[in-house]
Amino acid sequence: MKMIRAILRPDTAEEVADFLADAGFVSMTKIQVFGRGKQKGITVGTIHYDELPKTMIMMVVEDKNVKKVLKIVHDKAYTGNFGDGKIFITPVEEAYTVRTGAKGL
Amino acid sequence: MKEIIAIIRPRNIGPMRNALEQFGFPCMTAIAVLGRGAQRGIAGEVKLSNPKLRSSSKSGGMKYIPKRLVSIVVQNSDVDTVVKSIIEVNQTSQIGDGKIFICPLDNALRIRTNEKGESAVL
Repeated sequence: MKMIRAILRPDTAEEVADFLADAGFVSMTKIQVFGRGKQKGITVGTIHYDELPKTMIMMVVEDKNVKKVLKIVHDKAYTGNFGDGKIFITPVEEAYTVRTGAKGL
Repeated sequence: MKEIIAIIRPRNIGPMRNALEQFGFPCMTAIAVLGRGAQRGIAGEVKLSNPKLRSSSKSGGMKYIPKRLVSIVVQNSDVDTVVKSIIEVNQTSQIGDGKIFICPLDNALRIRTNEKGESAVL
């Protein structure tokens, strides 16, 4: 299993979530976060914005589905500008469902 | 070291904290998050009073449900104890009890003392 954490523009996050649901990846967690990238935020006129609002979509999927999810996220979140976001993939060793106590996704 | 990421009902955070404290795990990070599971949120629970909305195909459900994400870092040997007590406290056998993920962790550092590794966790 892998945990996919995608930090996206808040306005594209909803579209990404809808397309992921259509493709069968319904379960996910959405977190409002603030962050910045290599560009150290943005400067508009004379005002510098250090931290920009982003939405983090967190989901855990089986190894074989990682590529599929990445493609959907990339296709929908891509605008070609700075600030489109980043995707991180980390290993998950075990998963439990609290309701049943069962192992696995 | 392992990081235990549990997504649970917001109202269960208090009982869970007390239960984990009894086992000697007082440390945790909690974040308010929105989420959904295989059931696609809550469908058709909200009654729509606006006739225009009702006639459209909108179901009046909730797309996301507010949850708490709790992250706990423990030693390898304590993972089973913590997972078992989280399941025990949060189980209502109704849909929406949440999920627990166990992820490997390479290192930890306590900023105050510059301790690294296992001693930095607790």
